[in-house]
Amino acid sequence: MSERAGGDDPTWPPWPDVETHRDGPVDEAEAGDVSRLRPYVVTSGRVTPLDDTVEIEAQVVTTEYGLDSRARVAFERREIIALCCTTMSVAEVAAKLGLHIGVARVLVSELAAIGYVTIRRPAPNLADDVGLIERVIRGLQAIS
Amino acid sequence: MDSKQYLETSARAKQPPVPVKLIIAGGFGVGKTTAVASISEIVPLTTEARMTSAGAAVDNVGNVPAKTNTTVALDFGCVTIDQDCKLYLFGTPGQDRFGFMWDDLARGALGALVIVDSRRLSDCYPAVDYFEKVGLPFVVAANLFDGLIAYELDELRWALAINDSIPLITFDARNKRSVRDALLIVLHRSLDRAHGRLANTLHG
Repeated sequence: MSERAGGDDPTWPPWPDVETHRDGPVDEAEAGDVSRLRPYVVTSGRVTPLDDTVEIEAQVVTTEYGLDSRARVAFERREIIALCCTTMSVAEVAAKLGLHIGVARVLVSELAAIGYVTIRRPAPNLADDVGLIERVIRGLQAIS
Repeated sequence: MDSKQYLETSARAKQPPVPVKLIIAGGFGVGKTTAVASISEIVPLTTEARMTSAGAAVDNVGNVPAKTNTTVALDFGCVTIDQDCKLYLFGTPGQDRFGFMWDDLARGALGALVIVDSRRLSDCYPAVDYFEKVGLPFVVAANLFDGLIAYELDELRWALAINDSIPLITFDARNKRSVRDALLIVLHRSLDRAHGRLANTLHG
């Protein structure tokens, strides 16, 4: 039986070193939490994502820094970085990678916190934005 | 072209578009996914959302266990409005136990289209009740299966017991223009509400 990649190496898989990209000290317990677990395990265990308000329609796009760091992350995170070279919503990330939407939200908000992706979120008072609604109406009217 | 070049020429060239969304609600099999597919510029995608204990918390049913682990499918598509704006359409099942997902979806939504099958009216009640409760503009649309509708619109309105102020329309979920027109009615409701709030701010 071939040995699993990484063997018993506790540093495998190579997760991004969150601590080095954060300003200020990182809570030890928190740093431990993001280290060596598979993302699904991490997210299942997490009560709330880093930012649990990220909308499912929020647009995600990979940063240059994220692309450069791609080799240092693994599994779903790497896939998200590759996928989001084309801007897409959190919901699309979930659908294309076969993830639960909640898992995708957690991973995306984590990657955004590290700076590997940026998120464009909907305007806060969008439903009161007359100009934007009129724009959407015009855009839809143009469809035939 | 490698992905880096691609990144530079596409995503980095401009800001991501502003996302806006509408909800397409209704019972199972009423034509939500068909409606999304008719107008979406991408083949509708499906993702799964897991219900957690938060879902049980919004249910006012005493015998619901503290934790639920239901998984619901969410179908969605999108329409490019202009260079800087993208409209997402999320189709969601209409059961009241999925309250958690509705909260998630309704946050920031411009409005909702509640699709009803005139043969199974009660399927749409949870959605109608929910959108009334949260004050989200919505329109009730009877999907014309095979060009037939079981009731006249007046009868349908009476049967649904919905307020006269709520638009009740018929549409064909398979027809792109019909879906577009139904969404436009929803958006005009959204616009009315935005105007109303604006007026309140100015005069109140």
